[in-house]
Amino acid sequence: MISSRLNFPILLRLAAGIFLFAFAAIAAADNFKPFNADSFQEIKSSYEGQEFLLGLWSVDCPPCLVELEFMARILELNPEIPYVLISTDAIEQREVSAEYLEDLGFTERESWMFADSFVERLRFSIDQNWYGELPRSYFFDTNHAMKSHSGIVSKQLLQEWFSRTLFFE
Amino acid sequence: MINTIKSTKKITVLLLSFLLLLLTLSAQANSCEGSSVNNSVSVHCGEAPSATFDQDGRLWITFVQDQHVYVSHSDDSGKTYSTAVVVNPVAEDAEHNGENRPKIIVDADSNIYVSWTRKTSPRFTGEIRFSRSMDGGRTFDAPRTINDDELFTGHRFESLFLTESGHLYLTWIDKRDLEASVELGRDYSGAAVYFAVSSDQGASFSENYRVANNSCECCRIAIAPRGPENIAILWRQIFGVTTRDHAIAVLTPDGKTMEMGRASYDEWQIDACPHHGPTMIQSGLSGDYHISWFTNGDLHQGIYYARYSFDSNTPEQVFRVDGNAGASHPYLAEYGNTLYLLWKAFDGQNVNISLITSADDGASWTKPKILQSTSEGSDHPLIVKSENGLYLSWHSEELGYLFEKFTADTAGVRLGD
Repeated sequence: MISSRLNFPILLRLAAGIFLFAFAAIAAADNFKPFNADSFQEIKSSYEGQEFLLGLWSVDCPPCLVELEFMARILELNPEIPYVLISTDAIEQREVSAEYLEDLGFTERESWMFADSFVERLRFSIDQNWYGELPRSYFFDTNHAMKSHSGIVSKQLLQEWFSRTLFFE
Repeated sequence: MINTIKSTKKITVLLLSFLLLLLTLSAQANSCEGSSVNNSVSVHCGEAPSATFDQDGRLWITFVQDQHVYVSHSDDSGKTYSTAVVVNPVAEDAEHNGENRPKIIVDADSNIYVSWTRKTSPRFTGEIRFSRSMDGGRTFDAPRTINDDELFTGHRFESLFLTESGHLYLTWIDKRDLEASVELGRDYSGAAVYFAVSSDQGASFSENYRVANNSCECCRIAIAPRGPENIAILWRQIFGVTTRDHAIAVLTPDGKTMEMGRASYDEWQIDACPHHGPTMIQSGLSGDYHISWFTNGDLHQGIYYARYSFDSNTPEQVFRVDGNAGASHPYLAEYGNTLYLLWKAFDGQNVNISLITSADDGASWTKPKILQSTSEGSDHPLIVKSENGLYLSWHSEELGYLFEKFTADTAGVRLGD
C-alpha cells in the first residue's frame, strides 16, 4: 500500500526527467563537450604525435570574437589545421555560445565548454601560468611542447608555430 | 502492545522530523544546497552579493537570483537575514559575476540606492540600471536606465559611490563612441568611461559625461572620495595601441574630469580581456590613494600594490603582493590606521583568501596569511567596513555567503588542513 503511494510521484518524476532530457537534446544542437579537470589530457591524447592549436574564448570577450572571425578565415584557407576550441563560459549557457560558433561556421569543429564552476581548477589543468585572460591560445608541436599567447593571434605567430606552410590569401 | 509500537513509531517520526529540521537549519546557515525549499530566495542561493553597513550598524546586502535583484538586511552582522525584497519586479538579465555585481549604498537618512547592469543581449550590450528605496527598504522605485544615449550598445561594469556632500555618482564602461566611430568607418580601441551624478538623493541624474576614450572594455572601475564632493576613479585604460595599464582621474558633480594621470606602468601589451578591475581607497593617514591591481605586463606580473599621490602623479611604493599565477582580484580597506589587502589565489587544490596588512601607510607589509579557503567555485572576495571593524564578504558554493569579521590578528582559518 505504502509502496504504491510512493510509486506514483517517482513515475511522474521519471516521465518529467525523460521529457526534459529529450527537450535538452533538441535545444542543444551543438557539439560541445563538457570540459572538466581531465579533459585537457584527453584532448592531448587524441592528438598524440600531431601538431594542434587550442583556442580559449568566451562570449563575454570582444577580442575573442575578433580572433574567432580571423581564425574562421584562416581555416577556410587551411581546413586541415587541427584547431580545438574551448569556451570558458559555463556549459549551462551553451545556446548563446553555439549561436556564435554557428555564425562563424565552426559548427563542425571540436569544441568544449567549461563544465565545472570551480574554474580555477580548470584553468590550472591547462596551464598553471595562465591568469585567465582571453583570448588565450596554445600551440602544441608534434612532441606536444607547448607555446602560449594571450590576445589575438597573428598570421606571423601562426606561421611561426605550425611546421606546415599556411595560406593567408 | 500495538499501542506501544504505535507510540514508538510516533516518537521515531518526531525524532526524525526534528533531525531533518536541524539539518535543514544548519544547511540554510551556510551553503544553498540542501535548503528545505528549492529555489528559495536567499543570499546563499543567490549570486554576486554586495554588502554595506548603515549608520545604525545594520548590514544591507544585495544579490541576484533568477533575474531579480534583491535586497535584504541583517541585524546580527550576517548570521541571519530578513526576507529579501525584490528591487526589479519585472525579471531582467541582471549581470551577476565577480566584475559585474549589483551595488548597494545606504545614506544617513536610511535611503537605499541600488545599481546594476542589465544585459540586453549576449553580445556585450547592456544598460546601467538604478533604483532606490525611500522607506527603509520596504519598497523600491521602478528601476530606471541611467545611460541617456538610447543606443543598443554596451553600457556595463557600473560602479556606485556616495560622497560626503550627498552626491551620488554612477560610473561605467560605455560603447557609444565605439559605435559612432564604426559608423564613420574609423577604428576605435576598447570602450569609453562615462559617468552621471545625482544631487537629489537619486530622484534624478545629470546627463552622461565622458571621462576618457579607449578604456579596457571588461574591467570594473574603482572609486574613492576626493574631497567632500569629488571622486577619484581608477580604471584599466588602453595607452598607445595595446598597452592595458591603469589610469586615474578626478570627477566633479558638474561633470568635469580633472587631474587625469597614469597610475600603473606595467607595459601589459595585450589585445585581450583581463576581466580584472582594480581596487582603491583613500588613505586616512596621508590623503594619498592606495591602489591594487592585477597585471601580466612586461614589467610586472601578478597582484601589485602602490600608493598614488595626485601631487606627484606617480605610483610610489610599488610592491608585488603575489606573483604566482592564479593570484587575482585584490581588495583594499583601511581601519584604525592599518591598511588591509586581501586577494584570491589558487594553489592547485584550493582557492585561498589571503591577507596582508600594513601599519605604515603601505610602506611595508606583513607576510600573507590565509583567512579562508574552498575547493569549489567562488566569487571575488570583498571587504565591508563598519564602525567596529572589517568583514570579509565572500560567496562560494561550498560555504554559501560568508560574512565574517577579521582583524590583523585573526588566526588563519583552515591553515594546515
